[in-house]
Amino acid sequence: MNLRTLAVLLIAIAPVHDAWAEREDKAVASVQLTDPAGRKVQPLKNHGQKATLLFFLTPDCPLCNSYAPEIARIVGEYEKQGVQSYAIYADEPAKEITRHLREYKLPLTALLDPRLQLATLTGATITPEACLLSPDGQLLYRGRIDDRAVKLGTVRTEPRQRDLRLALDAVLANKKVAEKFTKAIGCYLPTSPKSK
Amino acid sequence: MTSSTRILLLSLILSASAQAEVNFSEHIAPIVFNNCATCHREGQIAPFALTDYASVKKHAKQMVEVTGDRTMPPWHADPGFIEYANDRSLSKDQIALFSDWLAAGTPEGDPAKLPALPVIPEGWQLGKPSQIVTMPEPFTVPAEGNDIYRKFVMPLNLDHDTWVSGVEFHPGDPKVVHHILYYLDSTGKGRQADAADPSPGFGGNGPSNGEMRYIGGWDVGSQPNLLPHGLRWFVPKGSDLVVQIHYHPNGKETTDQSSVGFYYSEEPTARPWSIIPVPPHFGMLQGIEIDAGEKEHIEKATFTIPTDCEAFAVNAHAHYLGKRMEMTATLPDGTTHWMLKTSNWDFQWQEDYTFKQPIKLPAGTRLDVTLSYDNSAENPRNPTHPPKRVIWGTSTTDEMGVITIQVMFNTKEQKDTTHQALRDFLANQMIDRLLEGKESIMDLVGGRRGKSAAKALEAARLPLLALDLDHDGKLTPEERIPAIAFIMAGPFMKNLGAIGFD
Repeated sequence: MNLRTLAVLLIAIAPVHDAWAEREDKAVASVQLTDPAGRKVQPLKNHGQKATLLFFLTPDCPLCNSYAPEIARIVGEYEKQGVQSYAIYADEPAKEITRHLREYKLPLTALLDPRLQLATLTGATITPEACLLSPDGQLLYRGRIDDRAVKLGTVRTEPRQRDLRLALDAVLANKKVAEKFTKAIGCYLPTSPKSK
Repeated sequence: MTSSTRILLLSLILSASAQAEVNFSEHIAPIVFNNCATCHREGQIAPFALTDYASVKKHAKQMVEVTGDRTMPPWHADPGFIEYANDRSLSKDQIALFSDWLAAGTPEGDPAKLPALPVIPEGWQLGKPSQIVTMPEPFTVPAEGNDIYRKFVMPLNLDHDTWVSGVEFHPGDPKVVHHILYYLDSTGKGRQADAADPSPGFGGNGPSNGEMRYIGGWDVGSQPNLLPHGLRWFVPKGSDLVVQIHYHPNGKETTDQSSVGFYYSEEPTARPWSIIPVPPHFGMLQGIEIDAGEKEHIEKATFTIPTDCEAFAVNAHAHYLGKRMEMTATLPDGTTHWMLKTSNWDFQWQEDYTFKQPIKLPAGTRLDVTLSYDNSAENPRNPTHPPKRVIWGTSTTDEMGVITIQVMFNTKEQKDTTHQALRDFLANQMIDRLLEGKESIMDLVGGRRGKSAAKALEAARLPLLALDLDHDGKLTPEERIPAIAFIMAGPFMKNLGAIGFD
């Protein structure tokens, strides 16, 4: 058995590691990624936003794509209320990301996160998965957009609980998010940065 | 290090060294290329390609999950009961290889050992069609919303009767076309409904399925095939092709303009053939009425085949609440065969299951069908929340249910006798439902549900109640003879349309 196999096994059996608990606010605020045009963005820095909303996406994930209209609605409705949204891509070239945003009419800034900095910080593992953060970088919600997807291959015709909207409404009303973590259903984010 | 930790690590190392053998080139690629890549390739229906090491590795964890619970490859017959020729499911050992591969760190192995990706030729798989018809206008599929069922009329303009040995479907946008059904319409009602509907095609109105000739279908993942055993569909001159397309919105608005290739044959069908649906007409007269919240609603139907025949394929149909769909055939000698057994019906996938060898069913063979429905809130596929009472109907929020075998006969008389037995079956069901006063058949007697339908139902019951001489609310076999004649002569049976094929 090589070391890599051992590492994979140990990661698989390790208790869920909440990187968030150990991070420093300063480090969170200084996370710097690039958009598809190559511009540098610090998504978690306090720019005066009421909250920061991250959508982890993959262009070829059917569930991500079927959620595109709802993501677009959420971004539009909550932007007016001061929520800053980003689409986070782990593994795709800039051109592919730009095409994806255009094709699925996703009205938000995309950020390339090949080192999985935001996934590691928030604990996101799935696409589509939403993370809501306070202006000072506290994680307020992580999980599904709603409960429409039950498991891969099984979706409800209509969602019964719109978890992300509930979380956003609670945060904007200065209330505690009732369910901070929900289980997102979809494709898996890579567990280790792309080796180049 | 404690001894228990040491044992844990040791066992991990041992199991890991066994798993390290599993690699992409030798173990995973042969399965994926054969069982997944037909759809999971560039330009095909599946959302992503699985055609090389990088793409399969990227989806490895997901593949462990969906192969493990048999969501993929889509195949809904329970494993281990019946052998089908078109079975695309994976064996337990094959499924285990995916998790072993993931645990081993998804190694590539020796690329020299990689099998060739099966080549699927461009264009028509069955060769150049005799006739290609295309939807006259593109149909717009919205970005999201419920599934769409739409019928499109494509005139064939045939000036003589002919036979068809195969039909091949070319989706305009394969990302949104999920499955289709072909019908031949000689009534002209399809054209009228299309003309009356401002957008391309038409929805719920137009000729009923019973008024048209069903000539098969296509679903995601199935390869076009010529009809087996030299069988042909009859195509009367002047008939229009009506294609019912089931669309899945996939997140972005798109348009579809699909084509159908027809393969005509001057040779007539080698044998008479038809379908035996149990219960007939999608369970229209079964009296399906499912209470809100009912976790396991059971419907049973039994049909005895009056003549010898050979079954070569089977399929099932229900809507979102359908769960268990089972059919057995009990031969006159008492032996029982499974024809179809599925414990997890999924409306999204409507496969034809083709038997490895045609199954001989002697006259007197009994077909027993059990259908179960889950109308509880726990059923994630339940389209209504909170659940509501559901009765038989054609909308996807109504229910229906049938298991259909495709059968060959030796003579036309055998086929006609079987069709007549199916009509008798329906007439008997109609009598039973009228005597029960079932709400679910009000559509048939009253045109719509409600007070006037209730009156019409009462009026339709009266002649039957008059035949019930001993007033026990049931008809004896003797009392049934005039009752069947009465039902057969009435408008109900005529409105139901044809049973089986020409």
